Amino acid sequence: MTIETIKQTSALVVAVSGRMDAVTAPEYEKKINELLDSGEVSYVVDFGQLEYISSAGLRALLSTTRRIKDKQGCILLANIVGNVKEVFEMSGFGSIFPVHATVDEALKMLPG
Amino acid sequence: MIRIEHLSKNFGNLSVLRDISAEIEKGEVISIIGPSGSGKSTFLRCVNLLDRPTSGKISINGVNILDRHTDVARVRQKMNMVFQAFNLFTHLTVLENLTLAPVKLLGRSRQEAERKGHDLLRLIGLGEKSMSYPDELSGGQKQRVAIARCLAMEPEIILFDEPTSALDPTMVSEVLSVIRRLAKEGLTMLNVTHEMDFARDVSTRVFYLDEGTIYEQGTPGEIFDNPCKEKTKAFIRRQQSLYQRLFSADFDLYSLNAEVESFCSRHLVPLKSRHDLTLLIEEVLQLYCASSSSFPIDITVNYSEKTGQLELLLESPPGSANPLELQGEDYALGLSIIGNLLQDRKFTHSENRNILKLYLKNP
Repeated sequence: MTIETIKQTSALVVAVSGRMDAVTAPEYEKKINELLDSGEVSYVVDFGQLEYISSAGLRALLSTTRRIKDKQGCILLANIVGNVKEVFEMSGFGSIFPVHATVDEALKMLPG
Repeated sequence: MIRIEHLSKNFGNLSVLRDISAEIEKGEVISIIGPSGSGKSTFLRCVNLLDRPTSGKISINGVNILDRHTDVARVRQKMNMVFQAFNLFTHLTVLENLTLAPVKLLGRSRQEAERKGHDLLRLIGLGEKSMSYPDELSGGQKQRVAIARCLAMEPEIILFDEPTSALDPTMVSEVLSVIRRLAKEGLTMLNVTHEMDFARDVSTRVFYLDEGTIYEQGTPGEIFDNPCKEKTKAFIRRQQSLYQRLFSADFDLYSLNAEVESFCSRHLVPLKSRHDLTLLIEEVLQLYCASSSSFPIDITVNYSEKTGQLELLLESPPGSANPLELQGEDYALGLSIIGNLLQDRKFTHSENRNILKLYLKNP
């Protein structure tokens, strides 16, 4: 799994690529926690290049979202396609998280 | 008509056939199927005495053909054989190939044998080829001539030893259609074949040979649609399997994924199925680890090249709980994903092992 971040006016875009599974999910949690600790509270997570996600990845998303909400921040998910989209649908995650078709669409939802 | 009792055949220390018993009635068409090296051809060659059985008894119409006083040549006239390689005499015309044995062995007149030969050539659709030489014929035509030559001896039983396996795919159907026609006419046949659709259509009974014995037998419906035994099922479904053993909860998920990916690539498993299988394995193993199941856990992936069905079997030591029955919020996501991936599941306890069988949906 690779995580890249791009700072935009309204949020930090976190682009996750590769696999988000039992082995790599802790890396994602660690990275978001570090960003939170540095004061970043608004996120758009770009899943366009993510090839695989398991329940371990979904749990990492849940736990980091809780921490972000605790800090009065917000997180929006974007660009969920292919196998990852199917896993979101299987697990009912699609209805828990508002999912946006593109990163730009998600950014527009946030106060500039 | 044919009674085989406790037939065994060894080649040196190698036991090829073990204690085979079977009865075949007049007019029956028996297809003999099984993996390479399972003894199918040896079985046929023993019945025809081309290979002498090591022990046992074979009776044709009540005559023990293994008795040293039995006239083997006469037995073979009643029971003729068609081989993979056509074994035609290349220096004789097609008609001469058909008339040689009836004239020499049955004492037919040349005129009578030729009349019969022409009839048989018309029967197999080669009426115009009577004066051709074998080298002028295609493989399919040669094999049809070999069948006609066999019929010219007016056998009561015909043994076919993989009659289409030396043919180009385009020529298989012409030979099979001739055999189909003979089957409908009530000739008794034993047919070693790899053509499963043909065996299903033409047979009254199917013998599945494995481990040197008739491992399972039944009607084509029983063998091809509802085989009872594991090896028969695996053969019929053209099943490929991958085995992996996990020794502890600290197993290497990526190494396991690599083995699964390599297996799937080798057997051309569709990409969507590969993804679902990888996901299922990860989710189930996470539950095993969470439920404190004991290790080792043996994983078997079965893939049917015929149906595309993927099965995942997990065998764990006795006492392990069914991980799919875990309760609690922590497991809900994994269980939900697993539930969506599966079309069926079974958990069985035995004294030695607990077995969880998971059947993936076929996309």
